[in-house]
Amino acid sequence: MWFDPNDLLAFARGTGFQLALIVFLLGVTLRFVEVYALGRPRDLSTPRPRVGSGWRTLFRRSVPDAMTFRRSGVTFTVGYVFHIGLFATLFLFRPHILLFQDVTGLWWPGLPSPLIDAIAVATLIALAITALSRLLHPVKRFLSGFGDWLALAATALPVLTGYLAYHHLALPYTLMLALHILSVEFLLVVLPFTKLMHMFTLFISRWLNGETFARRGVAS
Amino acid sequence: MSRDESLLEFLKQRGITRRGFLKFCAATASLMALPPSMAQGVAAALAQARRPSVIWLSFQECTGCTEALTRSHAPSIEDLIFEAISLDYHHTLQAASGQGAERAREQAMREFHGRYLLLVDGSIPVKDGGVYSTIAGMSNLDMLREAAQGAAAVVSIGTCAAYGGLPHAAPNPTGAAAVADIITDRPVVNIPGCPPIPTVITGVLAHYLTFGRLPELDALGRPKVFYGDTIHDRCYRRPFYDQGKFAHSFDDEGARNGWCLYELGCKGPTTYNACATTKWNAGTSFPIQSGHGCIGCSEPNFWDAGGLYKPLSTPYAGVGPAAAGAIAAGAVTGAAISLHNRRKRTRARAEHQRATVKDLEK
Amino acid sequence: MGLDDIGVHVVHGGGNGNGRALLNEVARLLEKLLQTGEGGSIDLAGMPLSGEDYDLLDDVLGEGEVHAEVTALGATEVIEAGVPGVWWITHYNAAEEVMAEFIEVAFCPEILQSPPEDVKEGLEALRARLLEEHLSG
Repeated sequence: MWFDPNDLLAFARGTGFQLALIVFLLGVTLRFVEVYALGRPRDLSTPRPRVGSGWRTLFRRSVPDAMTFRRSGVTFTVGYVFHIGLFATLFLFRPHILLFQDVTGLWWPGLPSPLIDAIAVATLIALAITALSRLLHPVKRFLSGFGDWLALAATALPVLTGYLAYHHLALPYTLMLALHILSVEFLLVVLPFTKLMHMFTLFISRWLNGETFARRGVAS
Repeated sequence: MSRDESLLEFLKQRGITRRGFLKFCAATASLMALPPSMAQGVAAALAQARRPSVIWLSFQECTGCTEALTRSHAPSIEDLIFEAISLDYHHTLQAASGQGAERAREQAMREFHGRYLLLVDGSIPVKDGGVYSTIAGMSNLDMLREAAQGAAAVVSIGTCAAYGGLPHAAPNPTGAAAVADIITDRPVVNIPGCPPIPTVITGVLAHYLTFGRLPELDALGRPKVFYGDTIHDRCYRRPFYDQGKFAHSFDDEGARNGWCLYELGCKGPTTYNACATTKWNAGTSFPIQSGHGCIGCSEPNFWDAGGLYKPLSTPYAGVGPAAAGAIAAGAVTGAAISLHNRRKRTRARAEHQRATVKDLEK
Repeated sequence: MGLDDIGVHVVHGGGNGNGRALLNEVARLLEKLLQTGEGGSIDLAGMPLSGEDYDLLDDVLGEGEVHAEVTALGATEVIEAGVPGVWWITHYNAAEEVMAEFIEVAFCPEILQSPPEDVKEGLEALRARLLEEHLSG
């Protein structure tokens, strides 16, 4: 008859979500099993006694040293802003908590919507600067491939559509909400197969590095 | 009552004075969501308006739409507008029955060919040649097609006529279809709702009386003047949504404070209707005001769109088994790939040859 | 049993801020009335007001000196607010249900003024009556 945004929303909240979740969980499990099964080479050095080094490294590597920060301060700053922003908008926005509660049964308190709104704006600006710097910086541009742009787009779209939907901008809310959910589903689908997998592997590998180095006596 | 008299003459006959007429026009302008300054224009137009002939066909429906319209106490504004039209056929309301009733319909169709308004409530079953609903031995499908031919415009009243409604819900055993699915060569206005707000039904009729044409429609065939905003946009609880103040259950403090019902499954943000402004029962209240979320009854397929109490941000269907299956499948695939990798590595190791300087010199 | 006997506990959530916005609009219309002689009208049906916002309007505008009732197509209540020039107009139908409600900003609301056509008709009727008296007298 006519295009009805409700149908798109119904798909996004129904079959689309199921499919995306299946691909996401399948992909993440697959990658984890695969990475774990790679194994690690046997360490032949005498282990040095040093407890908790992995955890210390986890923290210390997350703080930039002065030299590196001076060299690429923008990358660090916007990187921090959008990572924290993504965490807050994803996990501390009330409607999102409802989603997690619905799927997992777990509930936690959220932040006030106007605060999330401000964080979303900061996140969008940080993501835009990230994209610009990738485009304008000759070295970064040289190093950027399809996977990098895909990851950036897949991350930015949910924030952008979510912001527009919340404020009822650009398109009718129903359609924008459907697009927002679909963009998240796209993110779920590509996440396990792009560098976005670092969401899960980053802290594990950082911890492992710390432990390994401590064992060899070069712990931070 | 002569059919050719103007509305003002008709109202005068009913003992309505100029002040009464002014009041009528102010209320009508309010009804059509026009600014109060337009009341004068409405008065001028309505004074001249001719009473149109109306044929009302009821198909697969529950008569709730007609009930909603006729249950308002007399002489309300709805009532006056409803009486201002010349209702020539409505099989629930008319006194005549059987062949006499059908003759009245045929006569009106002949006499006012090309000029009458056709009002329809209920969906039309089209499966198996439309045998699932008939009137006087005639299928709804045939009756609609025949009556639409001479209609100036068709008004689909209620979600059933507008979008198929409850009969269209999965698995749709009768092949229920909307009026606009069948009638494509006449202007069709949709007034969805289950039931639609009575004042919106009469508001559309008043618009037709006042301006002699149909109001501007949105992408789903609804008059923008009544369906231009979402319930959420016009809800008096909207500021609480913006402030992040929500009721988490129907009996918590948030609910008692009258905070936003989003988390309790309110479909206000995706529902276009006038409930929040026009309200129900002579402006008394509307569902959200009485503490229940909007169920989205003026949107197509609202009954198939997940539970009434599921928040808009949550998925429709349970994902537990699918998630467990996905994780299991991921583990198995991952194991298979790892096994393959390990074999490859073992094979590579087995085929590994030490090269000496001599080999390189070859 | 009256409404008061039902155990309803009314909680005050503080309104949603739209009452204040509407009062500002009333102030703007009053200013316009003083400057141009023409005020304006606000249709309360289209306003998303909570019960408390409504009470706020009631409190701030208050009740003034004039209280009139028009009987035409049911009753219409015309009350001048405590702020002169602001009128509450409530149109009821014969069943005493509210048909429409307006805040009108004017020196005298339109519904209280006699329509010129009625005045003309009234004058003709009066002249005819006088003539009749004169002839018979």
